[in-house]
Amino acid sequence: MSNYDVIIVGGGHNGLVAGSYLAKAGRRVVILEKKKAVGGAAVSEEFAPGFTASSCAGGAGYLSSKVVGDLGLKAHGLAIEPSEAVAFVPQSDGSQLTIWRDVDRTVAEIAKFSEADAKAYPGFLAAMRPMAEAVSGLLEITPPDLPEVSWSDFPSARTMAGPMRRLGRKNVSQFLKTLPMPVSDLLDEWFESDVLKGAISASAVKDISWGPRESGTAYTLLYNWALSNSGLFRSSGGMKGGMGAITQVLATAARSFGVEIQTDSPVSEILLENGVATGVGLAGGDKLNAKVIVSGVDPRTTFTELLNPSRLDLSVVRNLRNIKYRGSAARIHLALDSLPEFSALAGSADLSALEGAIQIAPNMMYIQRAYDCTKYGEYSPHPYLDIEIPTLSDPEMAPAGQHVMSITAKYVPYALRQGSWEGHREAVVDAVLSTLAEYAPNLRDSIIHKEVLLPPDLEERFGLPEGNGNHGEMSLDQFLHMRPLPGYAQYKAPVEGLFLCGAGAHPGGGVTGLPGHNAAREILKATR
Amino acid sequence: MTEQYDAIIIGGGHNGLTCAAYLAKAGRKVLVLERRHLVGGAAVTEEIYPGFKFTVCSYVVSLLRPEVIRELELAKHGLHIMPLLSSFAPMENGDYLLTHADDSSNYHELRRHSKRDAEMFPLFNQMMYEMAHAVKPILATVPPDPSAPGLRGLQDLNLLRKHFQGMSKKSFHCLTKLMTMSVSDFLDEWFETDILKSLMALNGIIGTMLGPKSPGTAYVLLHHYMGELDGAFTAWGAQQGGTGGVSEAIASAARSYGAEIRCNAPVERVLVEDGTAVGVVMENGDEIKSKVVASGCDPTVTFRKLLEEKELPDDLISAIDNFKYRGSSGKVNLALDGMPRFSALGDDASAQCMAEICPNMDYLEKAYDDAVYGGFSKRPFMDVEMPTANDPTMAPPGKHVLSIFVQYANYALDPYDSRDAQRDAFGDAVVNTLSDFVPNIKDLILHKQVLTPWDIEQRIGLTEGNIFQGELTLDQLFFFRPAPGYSDYRTPVKNYYQCGSGTHPGGGITAGPGRLGALEILRDGNV
Repeated sequence: MSNYDVIIVGGGHNGLVAGSYLAKAGRRVVILEKKKAVGGAAVSEEFAPGFTASSCAGGAGYLSSKVVGDLGLKAHGLAIEPSEAVAFVPQSDGSQLTIWRDVDRTVAEIAKFSEADAKAYPGFLAAMRPMAEAVSGLLEITPPDLPEVSWSDFPSARTMAGPMRRLGRKNVSQFLKTLPMPVSDLLDEWFESDVLKGAISASAVKDISWGPRESGTAYTLLYNWALSNSGLFRSSGGMKGGMGAITQVLATAARSFGVEIQTDSPVSEILLENGVATGVGLAGGDKLNAKVIVSGVDPRTTFTELLNPSRLDLSVVRNLRNIKYRGSAARIHLALDSLPEFSALAGSADLSALEGAIQIAPNMMYIQRAYDCTKYGEYSPHPYLDIEIPTLSDPEMAPAGQHVMSITAKYVPYALRQGSWEGHREAVVDAVLSTLAEYAPNLRDSIIHKEVLLPPDLEERFGLPEGNGNHGEMSLDQFLHMRPLPGYAQYKAPVEGLFLCGAGAHPGGGVTGLPGHNAAREILKATR
Repeated sequence: MTEQYDAIIIGGGHNGLTCAAYLAKAGRKVLVLERRHLVGGAAVTEEIYPGFKFTVCSYVVSLLRPEVIRELELAKHGLHIMPLLSSFAPMENGDYLLTHADDSSNYHELRRHSKRDAEMFPLFNQMMYEMAHAVKPILATVPPDPSAPGLRGLQDLNLLRKHFQGMSKKSFHCLTKLMTMSVSDFLDEWFETDILKSLMALNGIIGTMLGPKSPGTAYVLLHHYMGELDGAFTAWGAQQGGTGGVSEAIASAARSYGAEIRCNAPVERVLVEDGTAVGVVMENGDEIKSKVVASGCDPTVTFRKLLEEKELPDDLISAIDNFKYRGSSGKVNLALDGMPRFSALGDDASAQCMAEICPNMDYLEKAYDDAVYGGFSKRPFMDVEMPTANDPTMAPPGKHVLSIFVQYANYALDPYDSRDAQRDAFGDAVVNTLSDFVPNIKDLILHKQVLTPWDIEQRIGLTEGNIFQGELTLDQLFFFRPAPGYSDYRTPVKNYYQCGSGTHPGGGITAGPGRLGALEILRDGNV
């Protein structure tokens, strides 16, 4: 028989966080990871000899500060410093807008495009920050089982009301009104420069399949803002060693609390006894039992591959089938023998603007247009590119003097309506590189090697259905009491003894650790 | 001696008339002031070509609140709505979908396309019926203000909470989806037949500058499901004599209670003394005094044109200036020499009183794409009504009128082209597209009237030509309509009220805002 209280399926960052909290509370925890290394989608891998990239997830700065503090991650080596530059947005005419963490410096940049917007920018930040804080409060709660709010739910309902109350009465309406807005409408209320609006709205759509004109993208902007380490609408800076270094720290911390981590241990099924989850079967045939089974894997895989869906209630199966995944981005890594020269920085020795994200999203309507074609199952001929050059701050990710460029290219649908990806893989890369060449003409010549991960590749390699890094779209219909499944937003699965701790659960995706944190709290409550 | 009224209503649209009727019925001395030569606002019937009558703007009726029909006894005053029994949608391959008002005909027709969808269809309607039923009480409620809940606000919020808690979980989840999803995603959860989905998706995009794949459009679908005719939910109908007949019926009811209605009486502004409305100033300089004033105009006109800026707090000014109108629909009215023939129907003309040009979902989405960046749809979505199929009085014998609601046309249109040229091009796009489905249409046209959103604004006074007096998006509904803190029909100016579609429950010929506005005026007791 087994020695474990808890078995966690999947060693992604949320599994590691949940395991740490549970072990810290005295539970005997084992994490079973299919691959050779933990990390899930937050890993650093060598994609060309000597070149390492954060293969799938980017965005180091979103890890919840509560999780960092609770688990003492800094003592285990976590070091994510926000960079001064947050976003560098080159224009095809050779000009550029850089968003700096420093507000005054940014105001001066914005003034190049609009004096009025430069004046409005500090007011915009001041108005949005309390809303981001309110969202931040919502991210750490267990969603109430709306519309029922029973006495046992009351603490969470109260927590939901808490952040609202802190907003102040007057701002509550404004906050509620803002959540369902398109980010384009929100920005139109504040600014006139389409360049500035493009720079900000890119952050709102970078993890969702929609364009900035779609309802709910103001929420995704606030979500990123709530978790950002820069005080702005997106995080900046990375960790030495890339995203994988973060999950390595999480694994070290987990082990320090007594978590046992078994890699190369693919779980093939969750075992039920009289309808109650009691253990897991490993691909090798071994079986492990525990009082509680926790899945960090996404809901679709958990319920249709690890479980036999015929054991589930029909309405659950229907809701499961209706979860919108919709990967919408390709991930491309370039090994470069020299730093690309952006025309907008020509002649400048100071390249610090490139240390944050580089956004090829010259204006808001450009992003909207890039989105349009995915509605018809096509990829963008002029994509929005979200780029990091990690070697600027961490030269060890490439051989001396050489560089790594990691590109998130949007929009690229999971499936093409006409034809298969095999015939179009090169064309996607070509669209990305020719778009980039408009801003950095020498780029193509410096490419030594490239790795291309289309949504189906991300699905295959990282177990992300349809290549969606968030285990399901971060849309308002898949939010709070609706995530991951309507009626099951309290981390308890529709199977007794089984819990969910992955990004498919509230509050969702990004390397935040919050679903793991929230799930651990519910598991402890349920197994007291 | 100056004239003195208890209440002046600015704007004789159907909501202004409704408000007037309720106030007059309660014994108040009421005056309605209408800028144009006829009442009705956007719900008017006009003879724009000799012998041919057109419902120039709005064209169908379904959302008229049953309590208004009852309380104002509109049937006695000439309200006569003929149900539209079928909806016909031709496809590009020559096939079509024809939905009916009865379940068994629908089943047989849908079965030609998909057995699964034929079986789902009644279940879907049942679900939407339940959802509409769940939301309906909210439509007849004054929105509470979550920012400033006084005692009454708290009571209202509590009622709202209880109302939602009374719903089953399943219904509440479904309502969450309806409030947040795109109509395309929502329908995808139910159906597989593209033409069925596009026919249903129409009601999610009408009046908005959103495509069927835009989140938020599922709510607009629900909004259109809340129609009720003779107790039958979701039924659509046409008023005899056009929608102007609805306005006429409400006006007649108002007059019967003693309200006075003046046409050709444009109001310049509201007369305000010490923060209190005391009457109006007419464009000709005349002043008319009254104890309260209500505006049935849209929020921009109500606050920004009829009042001076100094009367308003900054938060309201900025909210109104940011209020989204974005008229997206135009109207093309055709006087025809004979009967148009849809090629998909052959000689069967029975189904053509209501045809929808929405051959597939992509077609609708592409029509939207064309307009997003500042133009109009090259191949637009069209809601084609032929009132003469049911009501021969609308045209001379043997002739017909086609009333075509068209989406999308961006209010701004292309800034580099002249408005007249674009209007012509827009009209051509409509007729050319229609001729793909109705080959003989071009030969029949005696007269063509084309209205872009800009024309609708000029003619009716609807800002940016939005037929709902502001988009029905989640951030502009209920307690956000027209602005947070100002959704209870009152304004910062004492004794000045709102009663137009820019307030809850929003647009369409519902008469809901007019009724709720009147009830709030009476509740305040200042008149």
